[in-house]
Amino acid sequence: MSDWNAMSDEAFRAEARAFFEGEFPEEFKFLPRRMRWSECRDWYLKLSKKGWIAPNWPREHGGMGLSPSKLLIYFEETERAGVGRMPDQGITMVGPTLIRFGNDAQRARYLPKIIAGDAIWCQGYSEPNAGSDLASLRTEALPDGDDYVINGSKIWTSMAHDATNIYVLARTDRQAKKKQEGISFFLVDMKAPGITLRTIRNIAGHEEFCQVFFDNVRTPKENLVGELHKGWTIAKGLLGFERLNIGSPRRPLQALEKLEMLAQARGLLTDPAFAERFTQLKLDLADLGSLYGRYVDKARRGEAMGPDVSILKVWSMDTYQRLSELLMDAAGEYGAVEGEVAFGETAIDVLSPFYNSRPGTIYGGSNEIQRNILAKYVLNLPS
Amino acid sequence: MTISEDSSHAGMLAQSVGDFVKRGADLPRVRALAQTHADFDAAQWRQLAELGWLGILVPESCCGLGLGLAEAAIVAEGLGRALTPEPYTAVAVLAACVLEQSAGPLRDELLTGLASGERVPVLAWQEQADDFGGLQVATTATPFEGGYRVSGEKQFVIGAGAADGYLVTANAADGLQLLWVPRSAAGCTTGRQPLADGRSYGIVMLKDVVVPREQVLASGDAARAALNRALDHAAVTASAELVGIMKRANEMSLDYMKTRVQFGKPIGSFQALQHRAVDLYIQQELADAVLRDVIRQLDGAPDEQTRALSASRAKSRCADAALAVTRAAIQFHGAIGFTEDCDVGLYVKRAMTVSAWLGNGRNHRARYARLSAKVLRKEAA
Repeated sequence: MSDWNAMSDEAFRAEARAFFEGEFPEEFKFLPRRMRWSECRDWYLKLSKKGWIAPNWPREHGGMGLSPSKLLIYFEETERAGVGRMPDQGITMVGPTLIRFGNDAQRARYLPKIIAGDAIWCQGYSEPNAGSDLASLRTEALPDGDDYVINGSKIWTSMAHDATNIYVLARTDRQAKKKQEGISFFLVDMKAPGITLRTIRNIAGHEEFCQVFFDNVRTPKENLVGELHKGWTIAKGLLGFERLNIGSPRRPLQALEKLEMLAQARGLLTDPAFAERFTQLKLDLADLGSLYGRYVDKARRGEAMGPDVSILKVWSMDTYQRLSELLMDAAGEYGAVEGEVAFGETAIDVLSPFYNSRPGTIYGGSNEIQRNILAKYVLNLPS
Repeated sequence: MTISEDSSHAGMLAQSVGDFVKRGADLPRVRALAQTHADFDAAQWRQLAELGWLGILVPESCCGLGLGLAEAAIVAEGLGRALTPEPYTAVAVLAACVLEQSAGPLRDELLTGLASGERVPVLAWQEQADDFGGLQVATTATPFEGGYRVSGEKQFVIGAGAADGYLVTANAADGLQLLWVPRSAAGCTTGRQPLADGRSYGIVMLKDVVVPREQVLASGDAARAALNRALDHAAVTASAELVGIMKRANEMSLDYMKTRVQFGKPIGSFQALQHRAVDLYIQQELADAVLRDVIRQLDGAPDEQTRALSASRAKSRCADAALAVTRAAIQFHGAIGFTEDCDVGLYVKRAMTVSAWLGNGRNHRARYARLSAKVLRKEAA
């Protein structure tokens, strides 16, 4: 496999551009929603075959091990080409978490399946009564023979209807003094008997998230990650990787791409009111890239994310929303039109970044929760 | 120089800058500036020279350290934090960079003197507000047998109070000239425009000043290139000063929020204030991350366009963030923050002057927009 980091930035960009533009299926470019597995399977396998499926993973586990500057180029070029978002939790979250917290057997069993597209993961974290207050979760796992038996329900589980596996936070000790203690982290097969799903339609009319019910679902004891009752540390470790992923410039870049297309098509760059806001947002996003690089370096050194990674998530999703709002504003009367709108020869779905960016300040820990974390653990302000 | 030597040098530099800042001796001086306007202390300047800091960007052939922007920025950030009023960026970066790209015996003499602190050359380039990167020059250089006669007026000259001479830009029939004008030259007078932080801008008036040929430091495209590069580098070290200022201001706000009790609790326990403090911390970290990225790029000697885009990215973020952080510091401190006795005001005012100098946030955003539109057009073509 090539050492992509040894290439010049220009050469790597040229290869990425040719590959994403040339190989990603035309009919899915700039799709206004997440891709379903049935739609993206071929593309996933193509990326996998090229060795490009896990840009953030170390090379020893089948990733690209990209440096921050190369990773930024990778994201810029995927968004420039309008590559759709796949069910990617295995790549962005489960992989880094198992590499950091799992054991050799778990890594050997699960990592190659993620790379090969044989396992699609979803996240069993939030519950109907445990959202921002995640540690108050009530789904329970009790030992029984060689298994744990899980009962309860998880909600806002993105792409659960495409997933083959789910990672679950469950209470294993109800007597623990603090609610953060007595929680454990499990890997569960979605085909296990007792799992049922209810899809939930979102504000944009898409069915991207689900509620997942566990009724005496068994998972073997070797699927416990880390120590029993000590899952909160792993849960937070995974949230660190999630914040790094959400905090990447990738999603806001998607909105900027559309905004630039719209601005060109409508000749808005000569409108000083537009140009001022546009430049500010471009800089906000460029500067996010600099900040992101810091944390990518940290992840490459094999370090877990500290609480300060929350600054990335807040800034990235805030910038994403502001870009999506300027896009609507820049569309004038068309800013209220559902679906694709033709601007000259350019067709743009004006509202999809608006819808897609709305939950960005809610999922992965709301931006308000991130600010609470930063105030307490980084600024050391009193409570 | 190997990387390990380089990084240990940076480490030692950071250590000595840290010690210098910890003394905190500059705050009483800064406070007195409003009355005295003495923004240059010869003993202090000598000390900066002895520490080697003035010569960081001066080549070793001229008795400097021959280091890069990374090291200069460590010093600038420390001096920003300490609110040191001496014109470090104006002399040791802006003038040093222009001279470094010039040629001739006078260039060597001035650079050597700059590093030792015995000479204080200051660049007088600007004539109009909002001109960063534009270089509109109305000052004229009319040739005579032995050199040029120069007439014009330069503004916003930080460090003019201490300057022993000016590096002046002037237009001649054969292009832009960069000329050395001793402060005492006949026809050269220096005016003063007071600044919010007690320092001042110099106004340099030139009326038929005779500049002998030996005092021509650079001409034409070379002069323009040297000037543009120096301005970008100085905008970046000014950004480092701003990062030092905002970090200290944020620390002061957070310390205050932890100790000031109202309603029976430290005010830092209130979520409305916590979230505001976090948003300002995010601005600080963005500014810091951009600054490091941009320094790395500039020390890699990029093409002119990339350099300019990067410098504008740094100055626009750092200027706006420093203003936001220091203004909020007043609010966090409540009424005491609005008093003359409170140090917060000193940080607000220095943030104002360093933000406004060498292009403010708006100027650099506009330049960034102009330059990136050029990139887009190039890509399209």
